[in-house]
Amino acid sequence: MTPKPPDPRPRYDLPLPPPPASLRRGPFRAGAFRSPLHEPRTTVVLGRWLGAALLVCFLTGLISHALQDPPGWIVPYLQSRPVSGYRITQGLHVISGLAAIPLLGAKLWTVYPRLFEWPPARSVLHALERLGIFVLVTAMLLELFTGLFNTLQWYPWPFPFRQTHFWIGWLATGGLLVHIAAKGTLIARHWRRPAVGLPQRRAFLTAVTAAAGVVTLTTAGQAVPFLSGLDLLAPRRPDLGPLGLPVNRTAAQAGTVTVPADWRLRVDGPRPYVLTLAELGQLPQYDVELPIACVEGWSASARWTGVRVSDLMERAGAPAGASLRVTSLEANGPYRVMEMPAEYAVDPLTLLALRVNGEVLTADHGFPARIIAPNRPGVLQTKWVERIEVL
Amino acid sequence: MPRWLRAALLLGGLALIAYGLSGLLADSYITDPFDVLVWAVGAVVLHDGLWVPLLLLLGASVVRGPVLRGWLIVAAAVTAVGLPAVLRDGTNHGNSSVLPLPYLRNWLLVLAATAGIALLIALVRRWRHGGLHLRGLHLKGLHLKELRLRRRARPADPS
Repeated sequence: MTPKPPDPRPRYDLPLPPPPASLRRGPFRAGAFRSPLHEPRTTVVLGRWLGAALLVCFLTGLISHALQDPPGWIVPYLQSRPVSGYRITQGLHVISGLAAIPLLGAKLWTVYPRLFEWPPARSVLHALERLGIFVLVTAMLLELFTGLFNTLQWYPWPFPFRQTHFWIGWLATGGLLVHIAAKGTLIARHWRRPAVGLPQRRAFLTAVTAAAGVVTLTTAGQAVPFLSGLDLLAPRRPDLGPLGLPVNRTAAQAGTVTVPADWRLRVDGPRPYVLTLAELGQLPQYDVELPIACVEGWSASARWTGVRVSDLMERAGAPAGASLRVTSLEANGPYRVMEMPAEYAVDPLTLLALRVNGEVLTADHGFPARIIAPNRPGVLQTKWVERIEVL
Repeated sequence: MPRWLRAALLLGGLALIAYGLSGLLADSYITDPFDVLVWAVGAVVLHDGLWVPLLLLLGASVVRGPVLRGWLIVAAAVTAVGLPAVLRDGTNHGNSSVLPLPYLRNWLLVLAATAGIALLIALVRRWRHGGLHLRGLHLKGLHLKELRLRRRARPADPS
């Protein structure tokens, strides 16, 4: 059987004239790259892993976006279960994103000679395909770079992280789909292991696997409890922070270090009322074990003690199916006001917590009172609560 | 891959790109989308124009053998993920739970531990391929005669 010739140019494609051969210098020369690993089988194997990592990132990213900033039509579908849902999806988001760093590096290295293919564009379709690859590569590099730096709360760029990371994610995933479509025949041809292996390929793929493995093992402990002992390079450790729990935004950053002496919890609804901290402490208290899971990928379980939000709602005469708006003491900040769909508000695990791990909340953990609800991003676990409105 | 699947992937991919692009351009928080383009192109230029050529030069000139090459791949990955934390160490805006670990030490520790594993692998490979030579140093105490293994001719290093 002879190998299949490359796809013939479709009828609607326009050929482009080749540039003068005298321009074919440096890396454009034939045989400029000598490693035998710049070949499709290695690329296909790495591409499968990287594609899987990218799709996990995209889907978990969509989930995170839907939970954090839900468009109206999604709100009725949001669930407060599983309790650790967001902990798992966002943990996976960051784990697969970090693993994608060595995978992307290796993948781009294997196809690097293609950057200098000659002629640079054979036809209009070929030029468009290469433009698609440019979109994919730039989007991937920017996603992994901004995502990694966001976990460190390091923002050297002039644009907002969250919105940019979200939109570029669509570009990266779209670029991936276009790339798979363009390379479909080549991918299919090299999908299965060839009868005759290449020792270098095996060594290279083993090394890349080891690289992704080491990166995962030394960082995943920020979300995966049994790996926390190996957490050497992650920006967080689940047991380090005030009261053994990390903090995303401190009281100093939020301007809530000292709570006004006349602090009262105001609950607005059909029967509005106010409660002092002492009065809140005399209401029935519940203990719940809930994780706090941050969009940056770390998460930690804690034991929270406080008043059920549903009890507070009931006392305010909230109708069935009511949702809530919770306002924090902080003067500004994108999450000062939080809306809580009914599904979370009626959940018996959703508390206005006064204590964590047996101790009164510290200022950094949201003293005098904070929200803790199952399956929600950390930024929506509003701290320094001063007002709850039944909507 | 069937034609219909490729067509569906192409159309789906183009739709996602169009959605992402329109969202990026219309987002009220992203006041200057050109900034994003500058950083995106900058990332590619740095990666393809500086980082990969450096790797290729290193790989073509200095690096010999699959184990050293493998360890360098691991070290590069660990550095890409760990170095920002090392550089950022100590900058936490008063939040002691951000970057709470000794990152320089940990980064060196991971490099050292993986180098140790790589060295072990290299030694085992040498052992299996013949006598134990460390760059001219012949460890007599470990000579393989005692293990009744005969030294074989080493096959040419495939890399």
